[in-house]
Amino acid sequence: MTTVDRRAILVGGGAVLVVPVTLAASGSLKSLSGATASAGSVAAPVPATTLGAYLQIDGQNKVTLFVGPSEMGQGIMTGLAQLAAEELMLDWSQVSVEHAVPKFPTNPYSNPLFGLQLTGGSTSMRGWYLPMRKAAATAREMLLAAAAQMSPNIAWRLAQGGKVTDGANSLLFSQLVETAAQLTPPASVTLAATRNAIGQRLPRTDIPAKVNGSAIFGIDVRVPGMVYAAVVHCPTLGGTVASMPATASGATALVNLGNGVGVVASDTWTAQRIADSLASKIKWTLPANTGSRDSATIRAAGLALLASTTTVPHVYETTGAVDAAVALANAPTKIDATYELPYLAHACMEVLNCTASVTSTSCEIWAPTQGQALNIFTASAITGLPPTAITVHTTFLGGGLGRKFDQDFIGEAVKISKAVGKPVKLTWSRKQDFQNDMYRPCAAIRVQAGLDADKSLSAMLYRNVSPSINIQRNTKPGNNPEDTGAVAGATDMPYAIPNRRIEFVPNPADIPLGYWRSVGESYNTFAVESAMDELALAAGKDPMAWRRSLLAGNSRALGVLDAVDALSGWSVSAAPAGSARGLAFLKGFGSYIALVAQISLSSGKIKVGKMFCAIDCGVAVNPDQIEAQVQGGIVHGLSATLWGQVLFNAGVPNVSNFNNYRVLKLNEMPAVSVAIVPSTEAPGGVGETGVPCVAPAIANAYARLTGQRVRTLPFYPGATMGGL
Amino acid sequence: MAQTLTLNVNGVNQTVTINSSEMPLLWVLRDLLGLTGTKYGCGIEVCGACTVLVNGQRERSCVFDVTSAVGKKIVTVEGLSTDADGKKAQDAWVTNQVPQCGYCQPGMLMATVGAMKAGHHGKEIASELQHICVCGTYQRISKAIQTL
Repeated sequence: MTTVDRRAILVGGGAVLVVPVTLAASGSLKSLSGATASAGSVAAPVPATTLGAYLQIDGQNKVTLFVGPSEMGQGIMTGLAQLAAEELMLDWSQVSVEHAVPKFPTNPYSNPLFGLQLTGGSTSMRGWYLPMRKAAATAREMLLAAAAQMSPNIAWRLAQGGKVTDGANSLLFSQLVETAAQLTPPASVTLAATRNAIGQRLPRTDIPAKVNGSAIFGIDVRVPGMVYAAVVHCPTLGGTVASMPATASGATALVNLGNGVGVVASDTWTAQRIADSLASKIKWTLPANTGSRDSATIRAAGLALLASTTTVPHVYETTGAVDAAVALANAPTKIDATYELPYLAHACMEVLNCTASVTSTSCEIWAPTQGQALNIFTASAITGLPPTAITVHTTFLGGGLGRKFDQDFIGEAVKISKAVGKPVKLTWSRKQDFQNDMYRPCAAIRVQAGLDADKSLSAMLYRNVSPSINIQRNTKPGNNPEDTGAVAGATDMPYAIPNRRIEFVPNPADIPLGYWRSVGESYNTFAVESAMDELALAAGKDPMAWRRSLLAGNSRALGVLDAVDALSGWSVSAAPAGSARGLAFLKGFGSYIALVAQISLSSGKIKVGKMFCAIDCGVAVNPDQIEAQVQGGIVHGLSATLWGQVLFNAGVPNVSNFNNYRVLKLNEMPAVSVAIVPSTEAPGGVGETGVPCVAPAIANAYARLTGQRVRTLPFYPGATMGGL
Repeated sequence: MAQTLTLNVNGVNQTVTINSSEMPLLWVLRDLLGLTGTKYGCGIEVCGACTVLVNGQRERSCVFDVTSAVGKKIVTVEGLSTDADGKKAQDAWVTNQVPQCGYCQPGMLMATVGAMKAGHHGKEIASELQHICVCGTYQRISKAIQTL
């Protein structure tokens, strides 16, 4: 039986070297997509400003790194270990990585860009690149100082493999660490100039455990005395329990969770089966307003707001000497295009789950979570225990995709454990997971743009109407709520558009919303990059040349265009007969990316043959993992583009499992080639960056192939997927 | 009704008591035997994450009747490294750095090994792998399979 107890590992292994490094809090919560609203929806503590307690060196000179970001497939454990390995000249075989247990109130594992321990917004490498290197370099200096103290007459220097040497003698870190831990950290350190680990295609630290079944995901946690639980939520979103049976045959307890009922039983399958059978026996109070939870109504409201001249929009960006509307009115050539995107589910391979153990004095949580800092507040609010009594153990995540920021599944496990007085592992069924998601907002986006007589782009009026994550979560209370994340991908466009206005109008729909891999860019980039193609066509320009002309002087943007041009052969050879290529570009998540999709038709439907991608993500810490993330992001984008959609009928979602929420399979995988543009800039994000360009690149290729412009996603709604 | 069964899992006979004969093999492995490497993904034999070998055949354990596994040899991902094909597949997965989140990979590996045991090699295995990987590791899976 496997149990997870990281505290035991922490205290049992060896001396813990605490290296405090003061960090300036850089970047406000509001400026980052991904975790903004979650972070603000609870009383946030003072942002942590120290990094420490991250390194452990054991008697065998094995070095364990404790990291704040959650490993959900993006390879962050490996990337951060590479930073430490570089500064400390560690052999790769001596390094291992563990998720850190958050501390309260000062948490050294807080994301430096958020000031809270959260993973999202493709910020982990961006936030940790310098702090982790500085911390590891500080550790290096302290280890050298310890050696100097222990053997003062020797000119120690760092040597490969976790030791210090003078050429003749050497001391292992394991011999130095206890002395080093007593020393005062140096005020400043010099970072390593070598590139033995950073920039290398080092193998992932977590892969061996992921091929032999020993990797522990949240759903795999087993703690002594644990019972199993499942949950049934009101089938109508927003509904609550009016009355419920007191008992159910085979269940050891039923727990009222407000919007659902927790079922405790001897095993997960029994609990899930009972939960399924209870749906019809529980009396539910349905929400008064199901219209705001109905796809047809929501769509109509969105389109009305898109066309409205009386609604006052939030204006998130204006540029140019002339009002965009005036410039547009004066333009001899115009486009006016409306793009529509659906609600989407996260569909993480690992369903939501959480194990909790609540006693009168403590609460321990084991979870596949992207939001450890929030888990503490969630558990504290439910149990009444102080945050210092809450311990959060992060497991591997079987996909996070933004869904596992949220606290619903954490809170439910805590409530059930509190009610039954035992450790409980709660596992949602796949149906519950699909039908109680925090969905990617739907969006209706209108792009009006004008070309001058010389066919140059003179104006753009951009309006996004979508339900707002931030407003729903009340992160900006008051009567002037804001959600700049809703227009991410439309604001800060690097294109030279002289007069532009970027507007946002919230759609007052009541579908629960969440962060979905690439968040605002996942819909705005479809509109922006489709419109760019429509404008190129209107201007009679090649889409690649058109974008180059609008990005003149922007070397990083042009760099990815040049690279994807070379990779795809865009400028030198036509697409193969029966195929067409489409291009999209994005500056986002601190990176630049360009994507060319090459598609054909098979039985009248899109067949994606090849995808060519170029990314400039600054320093490429692990090129192999960057390629993997881009490939994976493209797959995620393809599934959404072709098939992804959730519809709601008076608050009831129309998807319940992978058989009616189709995603890409192996035999549909295009050949994806990725070029990483060399760069010495600060690292950019890669986890989400590959997703947004997929839909416009496909739509642009489709328009070129068929002459038909598709402005509504997905291409093939209602797709189903068979079994074996 | 409670029923006691003996299952041979990864070469070891194990006795379990189930409270319903309808309990699928998946949950017996995970919750009763503590072999959590086999994953719950969909419960309706669509995603493939729960794939195990029963007498060398690929089976979706989420719908596999546990009582019909009695007397047969069950292999899960935890038992893969002692199987020559299994070890080869695991090594190919490591060499090609296939997993991202890793959740679907036990099922991918079990199905791959099952396909190898059914006489498939290289590209043929790919057409047998109708599994879901939401991380999108397909390209690397295909590359790994080429070597098998």
